[in-house]
Amino acid sequence: MELRWFHVVLWGGLIAGMFLLPQVVSNGTLRTLIFANYLAVFAISWDVLSGRTGYVSFGHPFLIGIGAYTTAILTKRFDVPVEVSIPLAVLFTMVAGLLVLLPALRIRGSYFALVTLAFMELLYQLVQVIRPDLTGGTRGMSGIQTLTRGAANGYYLSTALMLCIALSMWLLMKTRLGTALAAVGMNEESVRGSGLSTTRLKAFAFLTSAFIAGLGGAFYVHYLGSLAPRAMFDINFLFTIIVSALLGGTSTIVGPMIGAFFMTCLLEYLRPVLPGAERYFVYGAIALILYMYQPKGLVKLVQLTSKA
Amino acid sequence: MLQILIQGLLLSGLYALIAMGFMLIFSIGRVLNLAYGAYLMVGGYTYFWVSQSLGMPKLAGVVVAAAVGVLMGVLKYSLIVRTLRRDHVAVEIATLMLAVVAQAGIVLVFGDSSKVLLPIVPGVLNVAGASVTCNILVAMIISWAILLGLYVCVRQTHTGRAMQAVSMDAKGAAISGIDPDRINLITWGISGALGAIGGVFFASYTQLSPSMWVAPLIISIAVVIVGGIGSIIGTLVVAHIVGFLEVIVVAELAPELRGVFTMLLIICVLASRPQGLFGREELH
Repeated sequence: MELRWFHVVLWGGLIAGMFLLPQVVSNGTLRTLIFANYLAVFAISWDVLSGRTGYVSFGHPFLIGIGAYTTAILTKRFDVPVEVSIPLAVLFTMVAGLLVLLPALRIRGSYFALVTLAFMELLYQLVQVIRPDLTGGTRGMSGIQTLTRGAANGYYLSTALMLCIALSMWLLMKTRLGTALAAVGMNEESVRGSGLSTTRLKAFAFLTSAFIAGLGGAFYVHYLGSLAPRAMFDINFLFTIIVSALLGGTSTIVGPMIGAFFMTCLLEYLRPVLPGAERYFVYGAIALILYMYQPKGLVKLVQLTSKA
Repeated sequence: MLQILIQGLLLSGLYALIAMGFMLIFSIGRVLNLAYGAYLMVGGYTYFWVSQSLGMPKLAGVVVAAAVGVLMGVLKYSLIVRTLRRDHVAVEIATLMLAVVAQAGIVLVFGDSSKVLLPIVPGVLNVAGASVTCNILVAMIISWAILLGLYVCVRQTHTGRAMQAVSMDAKGAAISGIDPDRINLITWGISGALGAIGGVFFASYTQLSPSMWVAPLIISIAVVIVGGIGSIIGTLVVAHIVGFLEVIVVAELAPELRGVFTMLLIICVLASRPQGLFGREELH
C-alpha cells in the first residue's frame, strides 16, 4: 500500500489522540490500555518471527520471560541500576533467541512449533527449581523496582515504547531485508535459490524478534513490579499473544496492534458479565470463529470490505 | 529399586494409553491435535459428572465419557480440520484455540477449583513390599488391552489397513478406492474415545482441574515425537522411556524436576532426528 498524505494525517491524529487520552479517561481504563500496549509489543515480536518467516513459535513467553527474569533478578538481587539491567536483559534474550534458532535450521512447520513449546515448558519448570533464592521459585518475585509512578506515566511510557517499536519495524519491513524475510515465509527454497542465505535471514528474524520480546518483557516487568512463573510461562498468555497477532493480521505492523487492542478491550468489557477465567470461553470462541472465517485477520477483512 | 520398576511400569502404561490417540491422529494426517488434552479433560469431567454427581454406575461413566470423546473427535474433524485441511500450522493454531475454549468451558460449568475423583477401582495391593493402588493397576491392564486390540485391528482388519494406507500416502490410498475422508473421521473418533478413557484414568491418578490438559498433552507430544510417525510399538517403547524417566527423576533427584527431562528429550530428538527414533523416513 502506498503512503498517502491522509495516511500521515490519520496516524498523526491517532498518535496525538493516544497521548491525550490520559486527560479524558479513568485510571482503570488506562491500566487496561497499558496492558494492550505491551501485548501489542509482544504480538509484533511474534509477528516478526512467525508471521513473516512462517516459523510459528509456540514458545514466545520463553523469550519474554527470559527478558523479564534477567532484569528482575539483576535489579532486585544485585542492585544493578535499571539503565544497565534492561540492555543486559535484551542481550540475554537475544542469546536465547539464537538458542531457539538452532532447531529452526533443521526443522520447520509443526515440529518447530513443538520445540518452542518444549522450550517454554522447560524454562517454566527450571525456573521454579534452579536457584529459587534468585528466581523466587514457584511464587515468583515481587517488589521489583518500577520505572514510573501512576497510571498516566506508565501509559505514556508503554505507548511510546509500542509506537517506537512499531515504527522501527515498519521502516525495517520497507527495506529489502524486510522483503526477503517475507519471502522466506512464502518459499524458503526459492529464496535460497536466489542466492540469499536463508540461515542469515532466519538468524536476523530470530534476533529481531528476541530483541523486541526482551525489551517488551523487561519494561513490562518494571511496570508490573512483580512476576510469577505460572503467569509468565502460561499457555493462556501464549494464546493471547498469538491470537492478537493472528486476529489483527499477520505480516503487517498494524495488525498485531489492532488485534492486541481489540482482544484486551474485549476481555475487559466481558469482566462485568463473566468475572473469572470463563471470559476466555467467549474470547476464545470469537477468536476461533474469526480465525476460521478469515485466517488473514481483521486487516484483510477491512481491506476486502472497503474494496467491495 | 523394585518400587521404581513397579511404579515405572504402571505410569508408563497410563502414558501409552494417553499418547496412543494422539499418535493415531498424527500418523494419519500429520496433524498435531493440540486440543488432545481437552479430550482427556472433558472425558475426566464427564466421568465425574455421570458417576459422582448423578450417582450412576462407574462403567456407565466410562462409556458416556468415551461417547463424548468420539463426538468431540468427529465434530472437530468435520468442523475444523476438514476446513483448514491444507495448512497444518493453521490446524495447530485452531486446535490450540479450541483447547483454551474447552478449558474456559470447563471453568464455566464446573468451576475453577480442582476436584478429586474417587478411584475407579478402590483398594491397595501389596506387591513385594511396594504398595500398588488397584486403580492404576487396572489402568495399566486396560491400557495394554487397548493397545494390543488396536495393534491387531490396524494389522488385521480392512479399516485398519486402510488407516495404514492413508497414513503412508493419502493420494495413493484414494486411488486404490479408499475414502480418506471416512478413514480420517473414524480415526478422529477412535482418538477421541482413547483420549477420553485415558482422561478418566489420568484424572483418577492426579485430580480434575481446568488446567489438567497441559501435562498429558506434553507427554503425548514427547512420546509421539520421540517414537516417530505411525509406530504403535514405538509409542509403547517411548511411553516407557518417558514414564521410567519421570519415576526415576522423582525418586532419585527431585519431584519438581519430573518434566524437565521429558522436555529435553523432545528438544534433543527434534533437533537431531526429526523423524523420531522408530518412525519411518518422510519423503520431504
